[in-house]
Amino acid sequence: MSDYAHPEVLVETEWVAQHLNDPMVRLVESDEDVLLYDVGHIPGAVKIDWHTDLQDALMRDYVSRPRFEELMSSRGIANDTTVVFYGDENNWWACYAFWVFKLFGHERCVVMNGGRQKWIAENRPLTKEIPTYPRTHYVAKERDDKTIRAFREQVMQHIASGQPLVDVRSPQEYSGELLHMPGYPQEGALRGGHIPGAKNIPWAKAVREDGTFKSAEELRALYTEQGITPDKDIIAYCRIGERSSHTWFVLTYLLGYPRVRNYDGSWTEWGNLVGVPIEK
Amino acid sequence: MDQQEHIALILDHYQHPRNYGTLTDPDILVNGGNPGCGDVVTMYLRLDAEQRVVDIRFEGHGCTVSMAGASIITELVKGMTLAEIEALPYQVLIDQMGEGVFKSRLRCATLGIDTLKGAAREYPTRQSLGQKLIQPIVLAHTGWV
Repeated sequence: MSDYAHPEVLVETEWVAQHLNDPMVRLVESDEDVLLYDVGHIPGAVKIDWHTDLQDALMRDYVSRPRFEELMSSRGIANDTTVVFYGDENNWWACYAFWVFKLFGHERCVVMNGGRQKWIAENRPLTKEIPTYPRTHYVAKERDDKTIRAFREQVMQHIASGQPLVDVRSPQEYSGELLHMPGYPQEGALRGGHIPGAKNIPWAKAVREDGTFKSAEELRALYTEQGITPDKDIIAYCRIGERSSHTWFVLTYLLGYPRVRNYDGSWTEWGNLVGVPIEK
Repeated sequence: MDQQEHIALILDHYQHPRNYGTLTDPDILVNGGNPGCGDVVTMYLRLDAEQRVVDIRFEGHGCTVSMAGASIITELVKGMTLAEIEALPYQVLIDQMGEGVFKSRLRCATLGIDTLKGAAREYPTRQSLGQKLIQPIVLAHTGWV
């Protein structure tokens, strides 16, 4: 862990256990299985449902600044609160929520290594009690869609200039054999395949079986052997941008890559776009 | 039921699944889902001479909605014939789980019922050949890709 570029963004379960009552810390649970929070969550944690809390209801985009401010204020999160993200499935959606918080410039964001899985495996307490916190007066920055977010026009420019992309989906999605993860409805795109030039490094290769992130050395090898190196401008994508936010987190914070963007339109956009190239 | 009641019911079935387990010498043993990742169920059924379900069990691994859906459907189909199961509308699940959850997690919600419908379609042919419908039990692997 000490070899990570930014070790301060990863906290262990023991640290979380010691800060359950820290007024400067707010635990945020974000899950793929959105009902898991109600089954039981870390005491004091609030739930952020990516479907309802982070997405605009009518336009495929993230919530507006006023809505993000309301979300923070209602969860008792202040501008100087340290937000600890955790969730199921290797912190998959926790990293997605982390990425959205960073769009709005929230400074103190960390991820609990190992997520729900590790907390439960260590027999640490869960509760069904929904906490309430005094409202804060959160002031968000304007959403920054330039630094860590990529749009399709930028992806087109990226391809034209031969810069690297990371496709973090399953090998079968990358090859075009499937349009969604195995076991899911094969829908969402008219074409299967990948963006030309993208390297396939499935997102879950960055974690161990217990849900914790692999060492810096292992992660460095995972990405550099496919030409994904820190001197380059990297764009990561998946199907809707949530798996690729996990990879964005790994590259940006654990390996310290200075220029990584998440293309959240991802394959559900690219695979349906008229006139853009694909590879199989 | 309002949405909160639907969610409470789903969570109750997830945490206290009905008919969870196996049957010895079932007439039907079928798998549903994808063992490579995600949600899987195995359904065990015992039938009478009229292909009516006299006993049912399920095992599985997966999300709250898929496991709750399997639990709910095993309660609903007891006493039904296979023909009735094959014709069963999804509305019976929507009434229990709520339209919002059902539609947002369609694959998960219908895992149990679709596994049973598939068995209901296939069993008559097997029976005409003097066979039961028994598939090898497939264990779930929870690695995400």
